[in-house]
Amino acid sequence: MNKQIASYIENNSTEIISKWQELMKNEESERSFQVMPADLMDQTSREFSDLLVTNLLDNHEAYENRLADFAEKVVRLGWSITFVTKAITHYVEVVYHGMENAGIINEENVRAFVEEFSNWVTPIRDSTIDTYSKTWERTVSLQKIALQELSASLIPVFDKISVMPLVGTIDTERAKLIMENLLEGVVKHRAEVVLLDITGVPVVDTMVAHHIIQAADAVRLVGAKCMLVGIRPEIAQTIVTLGINLNEFTTTSTLQRGVEQALAWTNREIVEVEEQ
Amino acid sequence: MNFRIPILKLRDTLIVSIQWELDDQTAIQFQEDLLNKLHETSARGVVIDLTSVDFIDSFIAKVLGDVISMSSLMGARVVITGIQPAVAITLIELGIRLEDVMTALDLENGLDKLQLELEA
Repeated sequence: MNKQIASYIENNSTEIISKWQELMKNEESERSFQVMPADLMDQTSREFSDLLVTNLLDNHEAYENRLADFAEKVVRLGWSITFVTKAITHYVEVVYHGMENAGIINEENVRAFVEEFSNWVTPIRDSTIDTYSKTWERTVSLQKIALQELSASLIPVFDKISVMPLVGTIDTERAKLIMENLLEGVVKHRAEVVLLDITGVPVVDTMVAHHIIQAADAVRLVGAKCMLVGIRPEIAQTIVTLGINLNEFTTTSTLQRGVEQALAWTNREIVEVEEQ
Repeated sequence: MNFRIPILKLRDTLIVSIQWELDDQTAIQFQEDLLNKLHETSARGVVIDLTSVDFIDSFIAKVLGDVISMSSLMGARVVITGIQPAVAITLIELGIRLEDVMTALDLENGLDKLQLELEA
Protein backbone atom coordinates (compact mmCIF):
# COMPACT_ATOMS: atom_id res chain seq x y z
CA MET A 1 0.00 0.00 0.00
CA ASN A 2 2.98 2.25 0.75
CA LYS A 3 4.29 1.46 -2.68
CA GLN A 4 0.98 2.44 -4.18
CA ILE A 5 1.14 5.84 -2.54
CA ALA A 6 4.78 6.29 -3.50
CA SER A 7 4.31 5.33 -7.10
CA TYR A 8 1.30 7.60 -7.36
CA ILE A 9 3.37 10.49 -6.01
CA GLU A 10 6.24 9.72 -8.35
CA ASN A 11 4.02 9.55 -11.41
CA ASN A 12 2.18 12.74 -10.59
CA SER A 13 4.87 14.68 -8.75
CA THR A 14 4.68 17.82 -10.90
CA GLU A 15 0.94 18.06 -10.51
CA ILE A 16 1.03 17.43 -6.79
CA ILE A 17 3.74 19.98 -6.22
CA SER A 18 1.99 22.70 -8.19
CA LYS A 19 -1.28 22.07 -6.37
CA TRP A 20 0.53 22.06 -3.10
CA GLN A 21 2.32 25.30 -3.89
CA GLU A 22 -1.02 26.83 -4.71
CA LEU A 23 -2.34 25.87 -1.29
CA MET A 24 0.73 27.11 0.48
CA LYS A 25 0.61 30.47 -1.25
CA ASN A 26 -2.84 30.97 0.19
CA GLU A 27 -1.39 30.75 3.67
CA GLU A 28 -1.22 34.45 4.28
CA SER A 29 0.64 34.20 7.50
CA GLU A 30 3.73 32.86 5.81
CA ARG A 31 5.50 35.41 3.72
CA SER A 32 8.71 33.56 3.00
CA PHE A 33 6.95 31.39 0.46
CA GLN A 34 5.53 34.32 -1.44
CA VAL A 35 8.72 36.30 -1.71
CA MET A 36 10.85 33.30 -2.68
CA PRO A 37 12.01 33.35 -6.32
CA ALA A 38 10.11 30.85 -8.49
CA ASP A 39 13.01 28.56 -9.35
CA LEU A 40 14.23 28.42 -5.78
CA MET A 41 10.70 27.69 -4.66
CA ASP A 42 10.40 24.87 -7.16
CA GLN A 43 13.65 23.39 -6.04
CA THR A 44 12.77 23.62 -2.38
CA SER A 45 9.32 22.18 -2.93
CA ARG A 46 10.74 19.26 -4.89
CA GLU A 47 13.26 18.62 -2.18
CA PHE A 48 10.54 18.71 0.43
CA SER A 49 8.38 16.35 -1.58
CA ASP A 50 11.31 13.97 -2.17
CA LEU A 51 12.01 13.91 1.52
CA LEU A 52 8.42 12.97 2.25
CA VAL A 53 8.45 10.23 -0.38
CA THR A 54 11.70 8.65 0.72
CA ASN A 55 10.22 8.30 4.17
CA LEU A 56 7.47 6.28 2.62
CA LEU A 57 9.69 3.77 0.84
CA ASP A 58 12.37 2.89 3.35
CA ASN A 59 12.20 -0.12 5.59
CA HIS A 60 11.61 0.33 9.26
CA GLU A 61 15.22 0.54 10.51
CA ALA A 62 16.44 3.01 7.92
CA TYR A 63 13.21 4.89 8.46
CA GLU A 64 14.11 6.17 11.93
CA ASN A 65 17.44 7.57 10.73
CA ARG A 66 15.84 9.08 7.69
CA LEU A 67 13.25 10.73 9.83
CA ALA A 68 15.87 12.46 11.96
CA ASP A 69 17.73 13.59 8.84
CA PHE A 70 14.51 14.81 7.30
CA ALA A 71 13.56 16.84 10.34
CA GLU A 72 17.01 18.40 10.50
CA LYS A 73 16.86 19.35 6.83
CA VAL A 74 13.46 20.93 7.24
CA VAL A 75 14.67 22.91 10.23
CA ARG A 76 17.67 24.06 8.22
CA LEU A 77 15.39 25.42 5.50
CA GLY A 78 14.52 28.07 8.03
CA TRP A 79 10.75 27.75 7.83
CA SER A 80 8.63 28.40 10.87
CA ILE A 81 7.19 25.37 12.61
CA THR A 82 3.60 26.40 11.85
CA PHE A 83 4.48 26.60 8.23
CA VAL A 84 6.13 23.19 8.16
CA THR A 85 3.24 21.43 9.87
CA LYS A 86 0.83 23.12 7.49
CA ALA A 87 3.03 22.12 4.57
CA ILE A 88 2.96 18.49 5.64
CA THR A 89 -0.79 18.55 6.13
CA HIS A 90 -1.43 20.19 2.79
CA TYR A 91 0.90 17.82 0.99
CA VAL A 92 -0.90 14.80 2.39
CA GLU A 93 -4.27 16.36 1.54
CA VAL A 94 -3.21 16.90 -2.04
CA VAL A 95 -1.94 13.34 -2.39
CA TYR A 96 -5.05 11.91 -0.77
CA HIS A 97 -7.46 13.85 -2.93
CA GLY A 98 -5.41 13.04 -6.00
CA MET A 99 -5.51 9.35 -5.27
CA GLU A 100 -9.20 9.51 -4.54
CA ASN A 101 -9.88 11.20 -7.85
CA ALA A 102 -7.68 8.72 -9.67
CA GLY A 103 -9.76 5.93 -8.19
CA ILE A 104 -6.91 4.30 -6.29
CA ILE A 105 -8.70 4.92 -3.06
CA ASN A 106 -12.24 3.64 -3.09
CA GLU A 107 -15.00 2.73 -0.68
CA GLU A 108 -13.43 -0.62 0.22
CA ASN A 109 -9.88 0.33 1.04
CA VAL A 110 -10.42 3.85 2.35
CA ARG A 111 -10.03 2.83 5.98
CA ALA A 112 -6.72 1.07 5.35
CA PHE A 113 -5.41 3.98 3.37
CA VAL A 114 -6.33 6.50 6.03
CA GLU A 115 -4.44 4.43 8.55
CA GLU A 116 -1.50 4.16 6.20
CA PHE A 117 -1.46 7.89 5.66
CA SER A 118 -1.52 8.63 9.34
CA ASN A 119 1.27 6.09 9.98
CA TRP A 120 3.24 7.89 7.34
CA VAL A 121 2.71 11.44 8.49
CA THR A 122 2.46 11.32 12.26
CA PRO A 123 6.09 10.29 12.91
CA ILE A 124 7.28 12.91 10.43
CA ARG A 125 5.36 15.61 12.19
CA ASP A 126 6.42 14.42 15.63
CA SER A 127 10.07 14.31 14.80
CA THR A 128 9.96 17.67 13.04
CA ILE A 129 8.46 19.30 16.10
CA ASP A 130 10.92 17.46 18.28
CA THR A 131 13.87 18.68 16.22
CA TYR A 132 12.54 22.21 16.22
CA SER A 133 12.18 22.30 19.97
CA LYS A 134 15.63 20.80 20.43
CA THR A 135 17.10 23.49 18.21
CA TRP A 136 15.30 26.13 20.22
CA GLU A 137 16.43 24.68 23.51
CA ARG A 138 19.99 24.64 22.26
CA THR A 139 19.74 28.27 21.18
CA VAL A 140 18.23 29.30 24.47
CA SER A 141 20.92 27.57 26.50
CA LEU A 142 23.67 29.05 24.34
CA GLN A 143 22.19 32.49 24.78
CA LYS A 144 21.90 31.95 28.49
CA ILE A 145 25.61 31.20 28.67
CA ALA A 146 26.41 34.20 26.50
CA LEU A 147 24.26 36.38 28.73
CA GLN A 148 26.00 35.12 31.85
CA GLU A 149 29.37 35.87 30.36
CA LEU A 150 28.28 39.35 29.45
CA SER A 151 26.24 40.06 32.48
CA ALA A 152 28.56 40.79 35.34
CA SER A 153 32.09 41.90 34.71
CA LEU A 154 34.02 44.11 37.07
CA ILE A 155 36.03 46.74 35.28
CA PRO A 156 38.97 48.39 37.02
CA VAL A 157 38.80 52.05 35.93
CA PHE A 158 41.32 53.62 38.26
CA ASP A 159 43.77 52.31 40.77
CA LYS A 160 41.62 51.12 43.71
CA ILE A 161 38.37 51.95 41.90
CA SER A 162 36.30 49.44 39.92
CA VAL A 163 32.96 49.65 38.20
CA MET A 164 30.40 46.92 37.62
CA PRO A 165 27.79 47.96 35.08
CA LEU A 166 24.58 45.97 35.43
CA VAL A 167 22.37 45.65 32.38
CA GLY A 168 19.05 43.87 32.22
CA THR A 169 16.73 42.23 34.71
CA ILE A 170 18.25 40.79 37.85
CA ASP A 171 16.91 37.46 39.08
CA THR A 172 18.14 35.39 42.00
CA GLU A 173 20.45 33.29 39.88
CA ARG A 174 22.03 36.32 38.31
CA ALA A 175 22.26 38.12 41.63
CA LYS A 176 24.35 35.26 42.94
CA LEU A 177 26.64 35.48 39.94
CA ILE A 178 26.92 39.22 40.37
CA MET A 179 27.85 38.88 44.01
CA GLU A 180 30.50 36.22 43.25
CA ASN A 181 32.06 38.21 40.41
CA LEU A 182 31.93 41.36 42.47
CA LEU A 183 33.78 39.88 45.43
CA GLU A 184 36.30 37.94 43.35
CA GLY A 185 36.96 41.10 41.36
CA VAL A 186 37.40 43.26 44.44
CA VAL A 187 40.01 40.89 45.82
CA LYS A 188 41.71 40.40 42.46
CA HIS A 189 41.92 44.07 41.46
CA ARG A 190 42.55 45.20 45.05
CA ALA A 191 39.70 47.68 44.72
CA GLU A 192 38.85 49.92 47.62
CA VAL A 193 35.73 51.37 46.09
CA VAL A 194 33.29 49.55 43.84
CA LEU A 195 30.62 51.34 41.87
CA LEU A 196 27.52 49.32 41.04
CA ASP A 197 25.98 50.98 38.02
CA ILE A 198 22.28 50.17 37.69
CA THR A 199 21.56 52.49 34.78
CA GLY A 200 20.72 49.48 32.64
CA VAL A 201 18.47 47.74 35.14
CA PRO A 202 14.89 48.32 33.98
CA VAL A 203 13.09 47.57 37.24
CA VAL A 204 14.24 47.73 40.84
CA ASP A 205 11.78 45.93 43.07
CA THR A 206 12.21 44.77 46.65
CA MET A 207 13.91 41.58 45.52
CA VAL A 208 16.48 43.36 43.37
CA ALA A 209 17.10 45.90 46.11
CA HIS A 210 17.57 43.09 48.60
CA HIS A 211 20.18 41.48 46.34
CA ILE A 212 21.98 44.78 45.90
CA ILE A 213 22.02 45.42 49.64
CA GLN A 214 23.41 41.95 50.25
CA ALA A 215 26.09 42.45 47.63
CA ALA A 216 27.08 45.78 49.14
CA ASP A 217 27.27 44.22 52.61
CA ALA A 218 29.46 41.43 51.32
CA VAL A 219 31.73 43.97 49.63
CA ARG A 220 32.08 45.78 52.94
CA LEU A 221 33.07 42.50 54.62
CA VAL A 222 35.94 41.89 52.22
CA GLY A 223 37.18 45.37 53.01
CA ALA A 224 35.96 47.66 50.24
CA LYS A 225 33.25 50.27 49.90
CA CYS A 226 30.29 49.88 47.61
CA MET A 227 28.49 52.73 45.93
CA LEU A 228 25.26 52.56 43.99
CA VAL A 229 25.26 54.77 40.92
CA GLY A 230 23.00 55.37 37.95
CA ILE A 231 19.77 55.80 39.89
CA ARG A 232 17.25 57.14 37.41
CA PRO A 233 14.32 59.28 38.56
CA GLU A 234 11.79 56.49 38.13
CA ILE A 235 14.03 54.10 40.07
CA ALA A 236 14.32 56.63 42.90
CA GLN A 237 10.53 56.88 42.93
CA THR A 238 10.02 53.12 43.10
CA ILE A 239 12.63 52.70 45.80
CA VAL A 240 10.97 55.26 48.04
CA THR A 241 7.44 54.12 47.23
CA LEU A 242 8.35 50.53 48.11
CA GLY A 243 9.88 51.76 51.35
CA ILE A 244 13.28 50.30 50.63
CA ASN A 245 15.90 51.71 52.93
CA LEU A 246 19.12 52.50 51.10
CA ASN A 247 20.25 55.08 53.63
CA GLU A 248 23.32 53.11 54.55
CA PHE A 249 24.63 53.44 51.03
CA THR A 250 26.18 56.22 49.15
CA THR A 251 24.09 56.62 46.02
CA THR A 252 24.44 59.00 43.12
CA SER A 253 22.50 59.64 39.97
CA THR A 254 25.32 59.25 37.46
CA LEU A 255 28.44 57.19 37.14
CA GLN A 256 30.44 60.36 36.64
CA ARG A 257 29.55 61.77 40.03
CA GLY A 258 30.12 58.39 41.57
CA VAL A 259 33.64 58.28 40.19
CA GLU A 260 34.32 61.75 41.58
CA GLN A 261 33.08 60.67 44.99
CA ALA A 262 35.14 57.48 44.83
CA LEU A 263 38.25 59.47 44.00
CA ALA A 264 37.54 61.74 46.94
CA TRP A 265 37.29 58.71 49.23
CA THR A 266 40.70 57.53 48.07
CA ASN A 267 42.10 61.05 48.57
CA ARG A 268 42.40 61.90 44.90
CA GLU A 269 40.68 64.18 42.44
CA ILE A 270 40.62 64.96 38.77
CA VAL A 271 42.27 68.29 37.92
CA GLU A 272 42.58 70.08 34.63
CA VAL A 273 46.10 70.65 33.41
CA GLU A 274 47.03 74.03 32.05
CA GLU A 275 47.51 74.34 28.33
CA GLN A 276 51.09 74.38 27.23
CA MET B 1 44.75 18.95 72.00
CA ASN B 2 43.67 22.53 71.65
CA PHE B 3 45.52 24.98 69.49
CA ARG B 4 45.81 28.47 70.83
CA ILE B 5 45.81 31.27 68.37
CA PRO B 6 48.96 33.38 68.71
CA ILE B 7 48.38 37.05 69.48
CA LEU B 8 51.26 39.33 68.50
CA LYS B 9 51.85 42.82 69.78
CA LEU B 10 53.22 45.48 67.44
CA ARG B 11 53.62 48.85 69.18
CA ASP B 12 50.10 49.69 70.37
CA THR B 13 48.36 47.19 68.11
CA LEU B 14 47.59 43.52 68.55
CA ILE B 15 47.81 41.36 65.44
CA VAL B 16 45.99 38.07 65.18
CA SER B 17 46.27 35.85 62.14
CA ILE B 18 43.86 32.95 62.06
CA GLN B 19 45.43 30.23 59.95
CA TRP B 20 43.01 27.35 60.14
CA GLU B 21 39.36 26.56 60.65
CA LEU B 22 38.31 27.54 64.14
CA ASP B 23 36.43 25.04 66.23
CA ASP B 24 34.10 26.26 68.95
CA GLN B 25 36.54 25.56 71.77
CA THR B 26 39.42 27.39 70.10
CA ALA B 27 37.16 30.34 69.36
CA ILE B 28 36.14 30.72 72.99
CA GLN B 29 39.74 30.31 74.08
CA PHE B 30 40.74 32.99 71.58
CA GLN B 31 38.11 35.35 72.94
CA GLU B 32 39.51 35.03 76.46
CA ASP B 33 43.13 35.24 75.35
CA LEU B 34 42.56 38.37 73.32
CA LEU B 35 40.72 40.18 76.08
CA ASN B 36 43.37 39.24 78.61
CA LYS B 37 46.09 40.43 76.28
CA LEU B 38 44.24 43.70 75.72
CA HIS B 39 44.07 44.14 79.47
CA GLU B 40 47.77 43.36 79.94
CA THR B 41 49.11 45.51 77.17
CA SER B 42 46.49 48.24 77.02
CA ALA B 43 46.75 48.13 73.23
CA ARG B 44 44.49 50.53 71.34
CA GLY B 45 43.90 48.57 68.19
CA VAL B 46 43.38 44.96 67.08
CA VAL B 47 43.73 43.53 63.59
CA ILE B 48 42.25 40.10 62.98
CA ASP B 49 43.39 38.61 59.69
CA LEU B 50 41.17 35.94 58.13
CA THR B 51 43.00 35.51 54.81
CA SER B 52 43.54 31.77 55.28
CA VAL B 53 40.03 31.05 56.51
CA ASP B 54 37.78 29.52 53.86
CA PHE B 55 34.78 28.85 56.00
CA ILE B 56 33.00 30.46 58.92
CA ASP B 57 29.93 29.09 60.62
CA SER B 58 27.35 31.07 62.55
CA PHE B 59 28.86 30.30 65.94
CA ILE B 60 32.34 31.49 64.95
CA ALA B 61 30.78 34.56 63.37
CA LYS B 62 28.94 35.29 66.60
CA VAL B 63 32.12 34.87 68.63
CA LEU B 64 33.93 37.25 66.28
CA GLY B 65 31.13 39.79 66.64
CA ASP B 66 31.25 39.42 70.42
CA VAL B 67 35.02 39.79 70.52
CA ILE B 68 34.71 43.00 68.55
CA SER B 69 32.04 44.48 70.86
CA MET B 70 33.98 43.40 73.94
CA SER B 71 37.20 44.91 72.60
CA SER B 72 35.53 48.22 71.90
CA LEU B 73 34.16 48.14 75.46
CA MET B 74 37.76 47.89 76.55
CA GLY B 75 38.65 50.85 74.39
CA ALA B 76 40.26 49.17 71.40
CA ARG B 77 39.28 49.47 67.75
CA VAL B 78 39.09 46.23 65.76
CA VAL B 79 39.71 45.78 62.05
CA ILE B 80 38.98 42.50 60.30
CA THR B 81 41.08 41.92 57.21
CA GLY B 82 41.23 39.48 54.34
CA ILE B 83 37.71 38.04 54.46
CA GLN B 84 37.51 35.74 51.44
CA PRO B 85 34.67 36.20 48.92
CA ALA B 86 33.21 32.80 49.79
CA VAL B 87 33.28 33.62 53.49
CA ALA B 88 31.62 36.99 52.84
CA ILE B 89 28.83 35.28 50.91
CA THR B 90 28.32 32.73 53.69
CA LEU B 91 28.17 35.45 56.32
CA ILE B 92 25.65 37.46 54.33
CA GLU B 93 23.54 34.37 53.72
CA LEU B 94 23.59 33.62 57.44
CA GLY B 95 22.36 37.18 57.99
CA ILE B 96 25.51 38.19 59.84
CA ARG B 97 26.33 41.67 58.69
CA LEU B 98 29.04 42.70 61.20
CA GLU B 99 27.67 46.18 60.80
CA ASP B 100 29.92 48.31 62.97
CA VAL B 101 33.10 46.49 62.13
CA MET B 102 35.90 48.01 60.11
CA THR B 103 37.14 45.78 57.34
CA ALA B 104 40.09 45.92 54.97
CA LEU B 105 41.40 43.95 52.03
CA ASP B 106 44.60 42.80 53.69
CA LEU B 107 46.77 43.23 56.76
CA GLU B 108 48.61 46.24 55.34
CA ASN B 109 45.43 48.15 54.50
CA GLY B 110 44.00 47.14 57.85
CA LEU B 111 46.94 48.60 59.75
CA ASP B 112 46.68 51.80 57.71
CA LYS B 113 42.98 52.11 58.45
CA LEU B 114 43.52 51.46 62.12
CA GLN B 115 46.27 54.08 62.24
CA LEU B 116 43.97 56.64 60.63
CA GLU B 117 41.19 55.76 63.04
CA LEU B 118 43.44 56.02 66.09
CA GLU B 119 44.89 59.33 65.00
CA ALA B 120 41.49 60.83 64.39
